[in-house]
Parts: sequence; C-alpha cells; structure tokens
Amino acid sequence: MDSHFLARRIHSLTGIVPVGLFLVYHLYLQLYLHSGAEVYNEVVNGFYDSPLAIWVLVIVVYIPLFFHAFFGIRLIFESSIQPSYTYFSHLLYWLQRISGIGVLLFIIAHVWNTQLGPWLAGTWGTHFEHLSSGFADPESGIITKSVYLLGVLGAVFHFANGLNTFSMTWGIALTPKSQVRVRILSILLFIILSASALYALSAIW
Amino acid sequence: MPETVTFKIKRQDSENSGSYWETFTIPYVANSNVISCLMDIQANPVNSKGEEVTPVVWESNCLEEVCGACTMLINGKVHQSCSALVDQLKKPIRLEPMSKFPVIRDLTVDRSRMFEALKKVQAWVTADGYHDLGPGDRLAQKHQEIAYTLSECMTCGCCVEACPQYSSGNNFLGAAAISQSRLFNMHPTAKNIADERLDTLMQEGGIADCGNAQNCVEACPKSIPLTESIAEMGRQVSGKLWRNIFRA
Repeated sequence: MDSHFLARRIHSLTGIVPVGLFLVYHLYLQLYLHSGAEVYNEVVNGFYDSPLAIWVLVIVVYIPLFFHAFFGIRLIFESSIQPSYTYFSHLLYWLQRISGIGVLLFIIAHVWNTQLGPWLAGTWGTHFEHLSSGFADPESGIITKSVYLLGVLGAVFHFANGLNTFSMTWGIALTPKSQVRVRILSILLFIILSASALYALSAIW
Repeated sequence: MPETVTFKIKRQDSENSGSYWETFTIPYVANSNVISCLMDIQANPVNSKGEEVTPVVWESNCLEEVCGACTMLINGKVHQSCSALVDQLKKPIRLEPMSKFPVIRDLTVDRSRMFEALKKVQAWVTADGYHDLGPGDRLAQKHQEIAYTLSECMTCGCCVEACPQYSSGNNFLGAAAISQSRLFNMHPTAKNIADERLDTLMQEGGIADCGNAQNCVEACPKSIPLTESIAEMGRQVSGKLWRNIFRA
C-alpha cells in the first residue's frame, strides 16, 4: 500500500463523506429561501452562531473539499483522450472531470460572492437580501443566475455520478446487474437533488 | 459487389522513425478479413500510386481470435484483424498500430508492458517442485463458469488501448492484469499469495489508477466482465486496506 493508493481512496471517500453529504445538507437549507428573508437569514445565521461553526466548516467542508478538488485536478492530467470509443460510461467519465473543474470554479465564485465579499464589505448576515439582489440585478443578474444554475446542476451531477463510481471503486456494486441498479439510483438522486435545487432557486429567480 | 477494396495504412519503417500513411487498393474477395487482405498486399506490395514498396509488416498467429497477436486499430477502433470482416467495415479501411505500445514496425507493436503487468500481479498458479501434489480441488460449477470466462483473456491489449487512464506516461497495470489477479485470487492453489497480488494492486499503477470509464469492458473482444473484475478487486483491496489499518 503506497501513498498514491491511499490518496486515491481518500479522494473517492471525501467526495461522498463529507463533501457530498454537505451538498445534500446545503441544498436542504436552500429550500428555506421559500420561507422569506427573515426565516432564511435566521436559519443560516443560526448555523454560524455556534462557536464551533468555523471549525466544523474548515474540518468537515473546506479541507476535504480542497483535497478532493486539487487531487481531482491532478487526476485529469492522467487522462488521455480516446475519441473513437463513444460509450455512455466513457461520456460520464469526461463529464465527471469537466463538471469537477466547473464546480470548483463555481465554488470559488460562490464562496467569494456569499461569504468573503459580504464579510469584507461588512454586510454579512443579510444572506437572503444579498442573494436576491444579486439575482435581480438588471445587468449582472442574468450572469449570476446562469452561473448558479450551471454550478448547482454541475455539483449535483458530479455527486450523483460520483456515487456510481464510488460503489465500483470500493467494490460495493460488483456485477454488471448491480452496477445498473446503482446507476439507476444515482440517476434518481440526480433528478431529486436537481428538482430540489431548482425549486429553491425559483424563490429568488 | 465492389471490385476493389482500399486500405489506408499507417506505416513506420523502424522504432524511431516517423510514421506516414500509404494507400493500397486490392481486388475485392468475398468474405475476406483484414488479415487476408494484408496477405494480398504482402504478395503484391504495390501502393495505389503504382509504386512497389516494402510489404506491410504485421503480426498474426492463430487467425481465430484467440491469440491476440493481430490486434490493431481498424477504422480507429481496436480489434483483432483476423476477425474484422471486410464486408462489415466502412471503406476505405484505415489500419493503424495500437497507440498505447511502442511501434516496432508498421502495424507491429511491442506489448511487453502487458506481460510485465501479468508478472507484477503474479498471474500464475504457485506450485513449486515436481512432486505429486495429489488431485486438484473439486470446484463448483459456478466457480468454473467465472474462472473459465476470465481465463479467456488473451492479453491482446484491447482493454488498455481503449482505456483513457492507460498511457505511455504512467505505469497503470490495466484491466487485463487486474482481471487476471481476480482469476488467480479465486484459484484454490494460487490464492495462497492472494495478499501479495493485493499489495501490487495497492501500489502506484495499481487498481486505484482505474478511472471507471468502462471502455475496457466494451472493447474486450472476449466479452470478459472486466468492470466486474475491477469492482471485485476493488472489494478485495478495500478489505486489505481495512486489515492494514485495523488488523495489522
């Protein structure tokens, strides 16, 4: 067993636990956008009220995410392009890599937009107003909306498809039949999480 | 019925020289395959410009898709040329050497890396000495069915040629060797070094380098369930990882 093997396995694991689970929790919180500004801000600020919030975020989200993202980028450079083989799984292989880069760029913009930017400007705390005004901006609103739409759907795809490859990497789904079952499960997960995310965004569209 | 068939062949005169394309047009023969056409070109090595050239070099042996020697890219996709039927191929037929191995000459490549991978995973039955070991173990029909399917691998290289994770820049073992490690890890005698095979798979170039593109299983001419083998070996190394952390 060498460090390369361990790193690959940690990369595979962190994609599901904790980063994937955090995505699900995060998408669940966003449904509160439908409850209006007051409730939404209360829910989000409620999380940050805990003195451990920043530590939980750093240990559970930022460090695993950072590792997953940067090791993932390294992996992309190991790929060679094989255009003659047009199989569905091969398409998913590339979509997983492309969505990974897209989602990483989105997350950087997203953390800047919703956390660092408002914090530096001293307006941190009014999350709902910040998000909805960004979406409603007559000039940049359409760009913000498109970036969020692509970013959120990309993240959901990357997670759902990642669950599929995770089950093969760890030897959970062995036979082609069971791999089909996991694929169906991951498609269902993609549909449910996408619907949830789109519904949440519709509150401030 | 066409009267002629045209082949565009990617040629290379020696290991270190550059490659070039050459076109050959030969008389159409009903039910011919790529190898029989290469034999026709060999018998009359005149390219479509009418120039006499050196005959195209390729490898072949069994001519019935069980040895893997004649594997090459046919219209961009990897396959054995003995079982590639001219009637089923888009014309002109493009022939190229496999892209993942060093070219020796024309369509002949050096697939040593595949055999080195088999050595690394110790894809053999470990029985030392000439003494009588007694009768072999009796195996269940179900076990035999899986083992037979896995043993059909001819190390042709289709799986690694189609694999986006296998390249000259890395040392990935590839699907064939991973599948063979599964075959020998389930063999009643060969499994006594199962852990050593898992150790190899847990090193750089091992099973962790699989990217789940699943091209291998689609490209395999013997329909070996390679992704099932990779998942099974993934399961075995997951167990070994657990044992390394909590039991060692």
